[in-house]
Amino acid sequence: MSTTITPESREDTRGDSSGEFPKGRGPIDWNGGWRWMFIGSFLLAGSFIGLRIYQQKFAWYKEYGLDAASDGFRTYWFNLFLGELVVVTIVTLAWWGWLIKSGQNLAAKAEAKPISKAEEVRRIAVFWGLIGATSLTLYFMASFFPNQDGVWHQTAVRDTALTPSHIVMFFWAFPLGITMTVGTYLYGRTRLPKVYSPDKGFPWSFFLLIAASVTEMMQVAMNEWGHSLWITEEIFAAPFHWPFVTYGWLASGIFALWAESLGRLLQIEDEIEEERQAVTTSDPAIA
Amino acid sequence: MSATALAPESEERTQALRKLLNRRYTFIDRKWDIVFWVTAAFVVAAAADITKLLFAGDWDFWTDWKDRQWWPMVTPFAVIIIPSALQYIQWLAWRMPTGAVYTAISMTIASWIGRIFNWDMFGGFPLAFVWPVMILAAAIWLDWVLLKTKSFVLTSLVGAFGFALILWFTNYTVLAPYLQPIDWMGLHVTVADVQGIEYVRGQTPEYLRMIEHGSLRTFLGETQYVSLAFGATLAVAGYWVGQAIGRGLAIWPIGRFIKRF
Repeated sequence: MSTTITPESREDTRGDSSGEFPKGRGPIDWNGGWRWMFIGSFLLAGSFIGLRIYQQKFAWYKEYGLDAASDGFRTYWFNLFLGELVVVTIVTLAWWGWLIKSGQNLAAKAEAKPISKAEEVRRIAVFWGLIGATSLTLYFMASFFPNQDGVWHQTAVRDTALTPSHIVMFFWAFPLGITMTVGTYLYGRTRLPKVYSPDKGFPWSFFLLIAASVTEMMQVAMNEWGHSLWITEEIFAAPFHWPFVTYGWLASGIFALWAESLGRLLQIEDEIEEERQAVTTSDPAIA
Repeated sequence: MSATALAPESEERTQALRKLLNRRYTFIDRKWDIVFWVTAAFVVAAAADITKLLFAGDWDFWTDWKDRQWWPMVTPFAVIIIPSALQYIQWLAWRMPTGAVYTAISMTIASWIGRIFNWDMFGGFPLAFVWPVMILAAAIWLDWVLLKTKSFVLTSLVGAFGFALILWFTNYTVLAPYLQPIDWMGLHVTVADVQGIEYVRGQTPEYLRMIEHGSLRTFLGETQYVSLAFGATLAVAGYWVGQAIGRGLAIWPIGRFIKRF
């Protein structure tokens, strides 16, 4: 015989009620703690889609991407390559630097006055948002642009390592993968000390995820070396492409990030419940 | 064992579930579920698609590569790895036999986006020539076997073996029209062959097509079944590669730290 368990009907009182955050900008509001997930994803997806449109126009239609020795290639593709490296380097160092510097300030403030539970929940939501944006980047790195790269190399002659598809995938999407994985770690280390405090050591979850993005970038070198020596024609399932797969597998460490931060979220709920019960039992009027 | 002996434990379990269900959370709501399931789909699609592309991509790209010898062998191995990993993760976390279907849906959407926006709109290949393998039916079977057996060993043996067979059957029904023989410029070829000739792949000349060669062709009509049996065997191995990924790279790291580099 089975027993049906149904939830009690009650008013939903979830969310921050301390007044610490403006209305609609609380820890679990879409426009609050989750806001950075949308902003980050929008910026990343916008850059990827924009570059894909650029490829369509300046690699195929205008044919500047077909001859690496042409003036058009230098103007539209080699300059893009240099521009990407400059932009991604500046953006990455600026973001990482800000995370470390502001994290030190937050740690100093937290020593004087510990952060509230609502603020910690907001940070976990931002952390999940960064994981989500990282996941989106991984999709463009490992599915969308490899498809684009595949169709390019099945049809166009490979006369340079810096083909239009490589310039976008290897030198924009791949570096951004490192930017996102390391940046997310720095956020966790500086904003979520109860989960990723430096005292605990370096988390295996981040080790695997960061290793995924770093090995992917390093595999670019082997890929080009292989194409220069072995077969210039593109066989996608060729063995020297297989190391790219390890990146997709190592990225499984991302699931451990969700589990670890969710564990802290449940701890916070337990602490709130304990405080609520303590108030109930100590206050004779309520008891 | 009598039913009455279990009653107290059962009641205790019911009360525990009732307490959990009626627990009042301050910050946990459905948004966390939505964010997890939606954002995880991207990395799952990425892992599944890159595994397929680089282990079986060429056979997945073109109808004229979908042969009797290699396609039924490399494809099941390549596309069962990540569904298996997700089966382990979702079964462990929620006891939900949904990992394979979740991966199949994520990968299917990602594959079709890749084919439409890149192979079709960028390269100009018609979708009828570059459609990706469909794994949804096979994934439903894989999850159903896990649901019924509650065993990863049995799922690997029965589920993965059937996965390869269902994968071939459901895709062969789509492929069959492209294998019809036609008379083309005095030659006896298939529709898929004509597609391969008409839509030029400048970087993959004929001599690089690693399809239907070797003595397996001399097995007359048995070629298909020999490849299917071997493909199903490899799918069992692929299932355990996925289990290793789910167990070792996704679950094992939780809460573990490297103390010293």
